[in-house]
Amino acid sequence: MADLTLLEITAYALQILLIFIAIAIVLHKNNRTIIILIASFSLVVSALYVINNAPDVAIAEVAIGAAIIPLIYVISISRQREFIVLDRAMDDFIISDEEFTGYGYRLLKQFTDHYHLDLNICNDPMICQMEGPDQNVCERTNVDLIVSKDEKTGTYYLKGKESSLLMHKLEEMAADYSDIEVQTFKDVEFGE
Amino acid sequence: MLSSVSRKLILIAAMAVVFGLFAASLIDLASLYNDATKDYFFEHGFEETGSNNLVTGILLDYRLFDSLFEAGILLVAVSGVIWVSKHDFADKNPNFMIDKYKTPDLFISFARLVYPLLLAFGLYIILNGHLSPGGGFQGGALAATAILILYFIDKNKETDIKRIVTIEKVLYLAIILVALLSLFTRSTAFTNFVAPAAGRQWQVVYLVTLNVLIGLKVAFGLWTIFTAFLKEGR
Repeated sequence: MADLTLLEITAYALQILLIFIAIAIVLHKNNRTIIILIASFSLVVSALYVINNAPDVAIAEVAIGAAIIPLIYVISISRQREFIVLDRAMDDFIISDEEFTGYGYRLLKQFTDHYHLDLNICNDPMICQMEGPDQNVCERTNVDLIVSKDEKTGTYYLKGKESSLLMHKLEEMAADYSDIEVQTFKDVEFGE
Repeated sequence: MLSSVSRKLILIAAMAVVFGLFAASLIDLASLYNDATKDYFFEHGFEETGSNNLVTGILLDYRLFDSLFEAGILLVAVSGVIWVSKHDFADKNPNFMIDKYKTPDLFISFARLVYPLLLAFGLYIILNGHLSPGGGFQGGALAATAILILYFIDKNKETDIKRIVTIEKVLYLAIILVALLSLFTRSTAFTNFVAPAAGRQWQVVYLVTLNVLIGLKVAFGLWTIFTAFLKEGR
């Protein structure tokens, strides 16, 4: 023990820390925590590179591992976990008095909670008034569900992609409501 | 048709052959691991490459041919990302994809503070690659991170990916051309086009040129990958 210098002790401590971080990355369930752990893993590794006289590699590791990769993960995961609904109904089905109190919202909330997704309702007029059939709007804006209303019969239509497995569950849940109908359409093929 | 048992046996036999070859290569370790190259680089690297940072000297002089393919890998990766994310260049715009309401103000203010520092640090790493640790790739990655932060500061920023990719390709060709210049000046391809006899101050010209080109190429390449991810998002 007496022969070890301070630098060597630091190196050993960092290596042990590295093992713990690696195990934590595997065991953790929360994606955002995992991103932070991956970034800290890269930081510890780059410190080890410096200790082992490789500053060039350390700079690359910091830039790629601790900055670029976590940022890309953050962007992709925050998008993956959202269920984006485009509200074209323009009445109190989802939003009434600037608050989410409509029974349509409660249904969608129950649905997204079942899959642990974040519900994101979008009623931006620019997108709602987009021309063309729902299928094309869905492809261009990448929303998951379009809510629209038939003015004559008062039926609300929930339209989503046929390929999305979530739609079957939504159909099941909407069966209790007589004025909600779930529809699916085919995806736009790549290259069309 | 082979039965599943005989297929497994063939797989096991193939793996045994591969491991046998691997084990055979480990017998003569002394000829594999020796200090000949290391000693040569230590002895002559400083004079022959004109670089104070021996890593840059090896990367841009002795092993330039390898470095060219390293830069090419990034180009291939960028094309792969674009192909997989099936873009319509004209159709989508990254500004739509970043959430305009959910980025915290604290993050935006902090990003404004960090952005110029990060960009300057990236350029410093690129330009100082022959003197201190770093070089084109590392500095380019840092500069690309700064550009990514820019998307969070300026939410209405629009990018013409097609132009970025074109610039990246042109830069890659320029790197290859600069690498080939030595064929005319020193009649050897893929080395410094300034002979060591001309003096260190002229050899540095080549190192800085190539570092800047590689840095810009890497920055543009990573920038394209970001935009692909941002667009893919929503």
